[in-house]
Formats: sequence, structure tokens, C-alpha cells
Amino acid sequence: MIVPLKSKRFWQDFDWLLLAAALLLSVISITEIYSATMAQGASTYSLRQLAWVAFGVVCLFVISAIDYHLISEHVPWLYVLGLGALLYTLVLGHRVSGSKSWVGFGSLAFQPSELIKMIVVVALARYLSELRSSKYMTFAQIVKACAIVMVPMGLILLQPDLGTTLTYLPVIAVGLFVRGIRPVALVSLVLGFVLVLPVSWMVLKPYQKERILTFMDPDRDPLGKGYQVTQSKIAIGSGGLLGKGVFRGSQNTLGFLPTRHTDFIFSVVGEELGFVGVMTTLGLLSFIIFRSVYNAQTARDNLGLFIVMGVVGVFFFHLIVNVGMVIGFMPTTGIPLPFLSYGGSSVLNAYVALGLVMSVRRCRYVN
Amino acid sequence: MLEREEASLLRWRASFISYCFIAILFVLAFGFWNAQVVQSGYYEQRAEENRIRQIPLRAPRGRIFDRFHRVLADNRPSYDIILIRENSPHTVEQTAAMLAEGVTMSKDELMDRINHKKHDPKFRPIILKEDVSVGDIAYVKAHKYELPEISIELQPRRRYLQDQMAAHAMGYVGEVTEAELATPDFVDFKSGDQVGKTGLEREYNNVLVGKDGFKRVIVNNFGREMGKLDEEPFTAGNDLMTTIDLDLQRAAEDAVGDQMGAVVALDPRNGEILAFVSKPAYDPNLFATRISAADYRSLADDPRKPMLDRAIQSKFAPGSVFKVFEAAAALEAGTLNPLRTIFCGGSEVFYGRSFACDKHHGTLDLHEAIVHSCDIYFYNVGKELGIDNISTYAKMMGLGRKTGVDLPNEETGLIPSREWKLKALKAKWYEGETISVAIGQGYVNITPIEVAWAMGGLTTGGRLKQPHLVNPQELKKLGFPANEVVEEDYPIQESTVDFVTQAMWGVVNEQGGTGGNARVNGFEVGGKTGTAQIVGGKDAGKTNKDRRENAWFVGFAPYRNPEIVVATIIQNGGWGSEAAAPVAHAVLDTYYKKKIGQFDGKLATIAAK
Repeated sequence: MIVPLKSKRFWQDFDWLLLAAALLLSVISITEIYSATMAQGASTYSLRQLAWVAFGVVCLFVISAIDYHLISEHVPWLYVLGLGALLYTLVLGHRVSGSKSWVGFGSLAFQPSELIKMIVVVALARYLSELRSSKYMTFAQIVKACAIVMVPMGLILLQPDLGTTLTYLPVIAVGLFVRGIRPVALVSLVLGFVLVLPVSWMVLKPYQKERILTFMDPDRDPLGKGYQVTQSKIAIGSGGLLGKGVFRGSQNTLGFLPTRHTDFIFSVVGEELGFVGVMTTLGLLSFIIFRSVYNAQTARDNLGLFIVMGVVGVFFFHLIVNVGMVIGFMPTTGIPLPFLSYGGSSVLNAYVALGLVMSVRRCRYVN
Repeated sequence: MLEREEASLLRWRASFISYCFIAILFVLAFGFWNAQVVQSGYYEQRAEENRIRQIPLRAPRGRIFDRFHRVLADNRPSYDIILIRENSPHTVEQTAAMLAEGVTMSKDELMDRINHKKHDPKFRPIILKEDVSVGDIAYVKAHKYELPEISIELQPRRRYLQDQMAAHAMGYVGEVTEAELATPDFVDFKSGDQVGKTGLEREYNNVLVGKDGFKRVIVNNFGREMGKLDEEPFTAGNDLMTTIDLDLQRAAEDAVGDQMGAVVALDPRNGEILAFVSKPAYDPNLFATRISAADYRSLADDPRKPMLDRAIQSKFAPGSVFKVFEAAAALEAGTLNPLRTIFCGGSEVFYGRSFACDKHHGTLDLHEAIVHSCDIYFYNVGKELGIDNISTYAKMMGLGRKTGVDLPNEETGLIPSREWKLKALKAKWYEGETISVAIGQGYVNITPIEVAWAMGGLTTGGRLKQPHLVNPQELKKLGFPANEVVEEDYPIQESTVDFVTQAMWGVVNEQGGTGGNARVNGFEVGGKTGTAQIVGGKDAGKTNKDRRENAWFVGFAPYRNPEIVVATIIQNGGWGSEAAAPVAHAVLDTYYKKKIGQFDGKLATIAAK
């Protein structure tokens, strides 16, 4: 059921604060992308980012105008369509940095693997919400839930794009946790995951490890693993409390920061806007996450709750992995920061996800 | 399970995820607080080091002149290929491989150079190739975008204009070694600096060396210059004027030619060294650029030892040159009446052993004995004088002592004495040994500079002036502390000085004198020849060139109030009269021609051998 945008009810229920937070982040993003790409003739990147934000906002409004139940109803088709897109990418996609994850439409190119994540979020939410009410999921249910996420994950892993594959993990993790699994199952899943990682790592041959490290981080520096993070920490630390000022970060403008308009955009924020800017940005991102959790908890039904929590899981994961990476707490992975990193797929995905949150919120009082 | 109950459970779990998020948020905030507030100073400095590169502006060394301001050593521009590892987009192996493609050096050689300086700070340039060709420069310039870590640096290099001339006096320069850096002389230097290694370059390194300037530029992550920050120009080193007279130097070098030997010409009135020759020599220009291993090996392994400074480091038996000093000693000690005659029959027995003379001189007095260099006469003089007197007077006159010349690594000759033998050889002195010493053989040995110094002292009436290549006044003018030239006077009767100088004039100018080849018409030259055996007398085969005698001639002029002393040794030259005296002649002749204004700038001819 589509509620017309001019409906008074729609505007009343619309989460303006959430949109304001997202737009503020986009302002910071476009400014710092401009700063980070001045050497490469700046405006192309920031204008493209602006265009994607505009398109993202349109998508946000359109999706929030749609009742999420309607999306849920059609999700099997979308899911199959998504798998088809992934297969298409696998066969005919562009190879960028060694993995086939890009599809082009004219001059626009984007990664289907990012957008399909939201279809998977809705698909899993639908499955979880339709389960018979019980405290814990059964083993079979867990396997089925995992399958919904793992199939597209597998196709993305084949591209091969390990970074994006990993971003699907929080969808299943948050889904299972919120729906409820036995502590034993939770512990064994976590333990299993923790144990399998190093064991499989040890079994790998050095060139395979190198390949995996390169999947995770295509721009891995030839001078050593520590270089990017070191430069990032120098940028952030030298920013100090108030920052060096926009367009004035030497680490940024002289190119010491690696992949600074995409994965390391937060280092630019740290250098040019300082601790204050970092806290403001983290505050806005946290606001989006907390506000979403609140929207989940006030959702009309479990379907809405699971959809929003899926989105929260994705945001949460992206944030800690990316921000943890720039400050050196996490290994270097090519995972972008939502709303801030340059990239159409990332921006579009963030706004589409927010659109889903809006849709859930808007429908909470509908009978 | 109730639906309400389930719903609240799900909401609680959602909240739990928020709590996890808050916890992680605190950890992240702590990380930023630590980096941006607690340690921001450290990171600011790291960021500065990243963006600022200091490029040294190499100061040229001061020039070295002869006494008439003719250039002996100056500098020429040359270019080095340098590597700065900091912020290089490549590993050093990649850099070496890429560079090896266009530069005439193999990857392994480049890696050797890099590994040698592996532990230097990363920002300090490593010199990969010195004094590169135009082709190498072109390759580096053409690839400056692919290889931003490689650049070309201007490095002024030493150029010795006279090639091998006065090589040992000049010394040479080279990159300062780790060992040198650990010594107090080199506290102000750093790895990669050029410093004097030997000779004047080493002795006056602190005068000659300039102060490097620097240029600080802003670089990007590829080390590419983005702008200039500031610049401090270099200060060139001080020019240094030496006492060398290039004309005399050239005359001496040409006269020695390909022979092994040394020449020291000095002004006995003030100690100024006018010519300083050690042959064979090396080309100090070879060291100005890093000397190749093959070149170094060929110099170091050369049996003729071109690196050895024979003028101050080689000790030779003085042979008959010693007789002059012995005569003066005997006159001073009063053991000899100059008019006393002794019969020379070609040999005489002392302490049960027969000692020979090379001629049957018949009856001679002291003057004739010096002129004809009669051994029999001096065996008797020495015997009567005794080893104690010989040693005391010889040392007093400057033999067997350091002259204090302003060059590093001066060696000292040996004047034997009873105490010396007891201490050094743990043996008692045999009187028979005095007989050998009496003609400058046996244990006695001296360096060429010592004998020039001592002859200057003797002929000027007992005034020893410290020999030097740089006048202390020159150093003072440049603002450097300098000691005055050391003067040492010893008591000697005027009659003794008159007698020996008269006799030495006779050596050169009288009929049958052994030093006729040193004669210069119009210039009252005096001198003494010496033909010193290298191995014990009997087996000194004249056919084996290595065993031929060392030929000495120590001359001075004019014989009253001398202005110049020339000490010459030609190793394995044979007779002093034939091999050494002509070399001294070349120097004295040039000196005299200059003095009377007839020097035409051409090389002095060597008197017929």
C-alpha cells in the first residue's frame, strides 16, 4: 500500500531528525571528499557524490512512502532478481582491483553486492518474523536463516570480494541474536567462527594469504602492512583537538593518506576537523543507529523490527570496522564508512537502508 | 510463549545491541582522544617530518694554492644519484631493479650500496652512484615521476689540477667512515660527508671544509617537491695557501721521473717547504669520487707502494750523508783536529774485522775526506768519537727525531745508542757496530724530511726551524688558532759550521768531488752524496736492481747563509753522485733561475747522468 507523499500523515510520521543527521553527514562527506581529491581535479568526485546523495534522498522518500509489508510481499522476486544480478556480475561484471564486483550503466558504475544487501535484510526479516512464536529458534530454522544470507554471500565471495562478503555477516548475526537462539548455539556459533578463522588461515599457503589480504584491501601498500594505518594515525593525531582546517591537512592534501576519499575519509575528517569534528561525526552516526534501534523497538510488528535491526547491524558493522581501522584498532579492510566514504553504491545503500527505517517508522500507527 | 512477552524480549535484545554499540563507541572515542589530544604533539611532528624534506646544499672545500696563488686543488661540479627511502612508493629492491635498467650499475651493486647504509635514518639520502655521466642524469630526470625516491644531487668534487703532483702532500678526500665519526675530530660530521683522509687535506680538514647549507622543501607522498619552505646557503671552505713552489715541485718531480724516491726542498731560514715529492705517487683525483675496488687494490697491492709517503714515512740508512753530521760532532766534541790526515789504503781492520772503502784515497785531511767521501777516514773519526757522542750530537742536530711537519703520520728515523740497543734489542753495544754507524750504515736510519731539516739547521749555524707546508700566519689570517713555527737552536761553533759548509761546497765544486752533478753555475751550491747499501755489503749485487744502493744527495745553496736545502733519495738508484745529485741540481737550478729572473717557465733540464 502506497501512501501518497502529500498525505498529512506521511509528513507527520516522517523522521525528519534522522534525515537531517544523514544530510549533515553528507555535507561533511562532500566537503572532505572535495578536500581529499583536490589534487585530482576535485570537483568531479564531490559533484558525483552530491548527485548520488540527491538520488539517494529521492530513493529514501520513495521507499519510506512504500509500506514495508508490500516490499516484504515482493521480496522473493527481488531476492531471485538479486541473485540473478550477482550471477550477471560474476560473468559479465567489470574487474576492478582484481574482483568482478562492478556493473556499469553508461558512465555510472555500481556494485550490486551493496544494494542486494538490503533485499537480503528484508528477506531474512520476513523469514524470522514468520517463525512460530517461541523463545529460541530450532536448528533447522537457524540453518534456513543462514542459507538466505549465505547464498548471496557465496556469490559475492566468488567475485571475489571478501570485504563486501563480510558486511553480510552482521545481517545474519543480528537477525539470529534478536530472534533468539539458545545460549549454547550462540556460544558455539561464535566459538566456531573464532576457531575456524585462524585454523583456515594456517592451512592457507602464503600466496593464498597474500591473495586474501589483497581481497580485503586491494590498495595494500607495497611498503608494508603498517604504512596505511601509520599514515592514518599521523593524520588523525596531528589534527589535534580542533583540526588543521578544511583543505589544510598536509597528510591529506600532500597525499600521505591512502585511499583517502573512500576507505580513509574519516582520517581526513580527523586531520582537518580535529577531535571535535570526529566526535560530531561519530555522534551523528550514533544518533542514526540509536534512533533506528528506537524505531525498531516501536515498530508495529516483528517484521518491521527485524528489518530495522538488520539495517542497524549493517551500519554498526561498517562503523566499527571502518573507524576502528583508521585509528588502528582493526585490520585494514576495504569497508567504507556509511554516508561519508565516496562511492555511489555505498551512498545509495545507506539512503535506501534509511528509507526502510523510515517506512517501518511511518507505519507504526497504521491499523 | 505469549506474544507480548516475546515482543518485549525482542525489544530488550535490540537494546542490548545498542549497549554493545555504546561500549565500542567509548573504546573508539578513547582511541581518538589518545591520538588527537594526548599524543597530538608527537603526531604533529610526524606529519611535519612527512611533508618536509631537507635537501643538503653541499659546500665546496677550500682551494689549495702554491705560494704564488697557483691552484693545486680546486673543485668541479659533479652529480650523484641519491636515494631517499622515506615515503618511497617502492621497496628498495624495486627501486634498485628499476634504476639498474637505465644506469650503468647492476642491481646487485645498487643493493650493496643501499644495504651498507641500511641502518641510517630513512630520511638521510643514500648515495647510489657518484659523479654520474650525462646519460645517467638523463635517465633519472626522465624517470622522475616513476622514481620519485631517486634524485640527482650536486656534489662539488675535489679536483687536483696537477694530477699526481705533490700527491702525498695534498693527500686526498673521501667519504667519512664510521670509525672516523666516532673520533672527536669528526664530531661535526655525518655519514656521507667528504673529509680529508691524508696529507694537507686531513691536517687542515677543519680549515678547508665548508659548511653545508640546506633547502627545505614540501614534498608529497611520492617525495615530489611541491614547494620551497626555506633555504640556508652553504659556506664554502677556506682557501689555503701553501709554501710549495709549483716550479720547484715540478722540477723535482720531473727529475725523479719514474724512479722510486723522495725530494724535500725547504727554506732553512723559516722552515717553509718548497717542494715535497714522493714517488711513485697516486692520482688523488681517483679518490675524489669513490675509488673503485679495482683501482684501490692496484694501488694497495702495487709492490712499488705508491700510497707510501716516502718523504716522511720511509726510513733509510743515510750512508755517507751522515759523515757531515759526524764531522761536525767530532769537531764540536774536540775528538778531531780538522787538519789531521789519515791514510786510506782501500780497507782497514777495526776490532778484528776488515772494513772497506770504495777507493784507495791515499792520505787525506777532513776536508778532502768529505769531498771524496772516504770511508776509512770516517771509520776512524767514528771510532774516536764513540757511539755515545755520535748519538748525542746527531740527535741534537735533528736526526732521528720528529720534525713536526704539518702532515699526519710522520715517522721518525733512528739514531742508535747503547741504551737504545739495550732496551730495544736486549743486547749490549759492540764497538764494531760504531764503525758501521760512522758511515751511516748499521742501525742508523732517517727520513728524507729529517735530513733536510737537520742539514738546514747545521748550515744555518744550529737553527732548526720546524718544516711546514702552511704558514701559521695564513691560518691566523683565516681566523684559526695556530702555533708559531717552532725554532730550536743548539750550540755549535761558527768555525765548525764554516768548515763543514766549506767542505760540502767542495763536494760539489772541487775537482773529484762526488757532488759535481749538483753544480749550478753562479749559485754556490754545497752538499753531500750518500750511497747507502740496502743489505749487508758483500752480497749487494749490482745486477739485481732491487738490491742496488739507495742514492742520496742533500744539498743547499748558497753555501753561506743558505736559502734552500734539498734532500733527495732515489731508491735503488746506485751512486748518490749519479742518481740523486742531478735531481737536487734540477731543483736548485730552477730556484736560482727564478731568483735571478731567468726562469722561463719551462722545466729545468736534468743534468747529464
